Amino acid sequence: MGDVRSVGSVPAHLRALNARWVACGTCDALLQRPSLREGQQARCTHCGSPLFARKRSHAERTLALMIASLVVYAVAVMYPFIRMERSGISNQISVIDSVSVLWRNGMHLLALASALLILLFPLMRILLLCGLAFAVYLKQEAGLAFARVARLAQALEPWSMVDIFMLGIIVSLVKVGKMVDIELGAAFWGMTALVLFLTMGASAACRDSTWQYLRDRF
Amino acid sequence: MRAIDQGIARCMACGSLTDRPGEPCAYCGGPTALRKRNSLQRVWAFWLAGVIAYIPGNLYPIMVTESLAGTSASTIMGGVISLIHHHSYSVAFVVFFASVLVPVTKFAIIAWLALTIQFDWPADEHRRVEAHEVIEFIGRWSMIDVFVVAALAALIQVGGLMTISPGIGINAFALSVMFTMLSAMSFDSRRIWDTR
Repeated sequence: MGDVRSVGSVPAHLRALNARWVACGTCDALLQRPSLREGQQARCTHCGSPLFARKRSHAERTLALMIASLVVYAVAVMYPFIRMERSGISNQISVIDSVSVLWRNGMHLLALASALLILLFPLMRILLLCGLAFAVYLKQEAGLAFARVARLAQALEPWSMVDIFMLGIIVSLVKVGKMVDIELGAAFWGMTALVLFLTMGASAACRDSTWQYLRDRF
Repeated sequence: MRAIDQGIARCMACGSLTDRPGEPCAYCGGPTALRKRNSLQRVWAFWLAGVIAYIPGNLYPIMVTESLAGTSASTIMGGVISLIHHHSYSVAFVVFFASVLVPVTKFAIIAWLALTIQFDWPADEHRRVEAHEVIEFIGRWSMIDVFVVAALAALIQVGGLMTISPGIGINAFALSVMFTMLSAMSFDSRRIWDTR
């Protein structure tokens, strides 16, 4: 039937199955679902991998960090990143310039991939996590749209590469630091803050609690 | 007791259980299967694509520098060596680690994981789960060289004095990293425990 279903259509025996049992994603052990309090984490008794967690006030903390991320994202993208000067010639770049230089050199696919990895995917992830945390915080209904947003946010996680881009910038600064004079722009600090907030957001967000929120609405 | 023995599958997106493997998850619509479909075949396909792309990624220049002194093209290893010449040892190590050590180790570990399952090689389960987690975590960091080149090429455009432009090798290198990430993602760690 594809994705199509109406809310509340999960059969009673599946609800009972999920209320009592849980399977380890790492080793496939079928275990009785432990009931956790906030701040606790369950481990698989067979392989020792984390089974699921209930992070403390995950929605509030994720929401706060994602809103902060959105603000510094705007700074990181709109303002100049670095200014360099040598022999009276100066040049300043923004994040977008480092993508468009690839395009101008004929590497269209790589430019496109970079735009996705460092601009679009991080932004989408921030917005999606914002939406999810907001829905959980306000105790909104959760149905197919909620599930789709949660799945997309999850799939985007490894492909959102702001942190790697930032380290790349630092490496390139070291490479040219001795040849030219470098001045750090507002976007550099915006991007630093963005990496910090996104990392904190990733550890504040709780996948398992979010999916449990969805299951509880059926 | 394994879930598969009861005919129960775990949704790959939300982790909910279902007694109808192969049908979309009743809760979130995500894919469900007792085991990831053709996982070893996918692992090997992406692995091979990654290895093949890694070769031109290392042989062709990733960066071309034009200055008054002339034009020079540098490969990944060339970049590491020039950093060492400039006594930037820690950065040389970061680039060497991310662009050479991590990709090569990843190829070896993924191949070893797939082979242990294919040929039932005896290997400690916990060790293999750890190895898989490490490569999933660290693999994306190899993209760092791509961003270094993009940043340098954008920054160093000093008229006739010096210009840096990206070299074609960086395309192949980026592809190699992405294929290897997909290879690691296609691996189903539950297969490690199936032989018991």
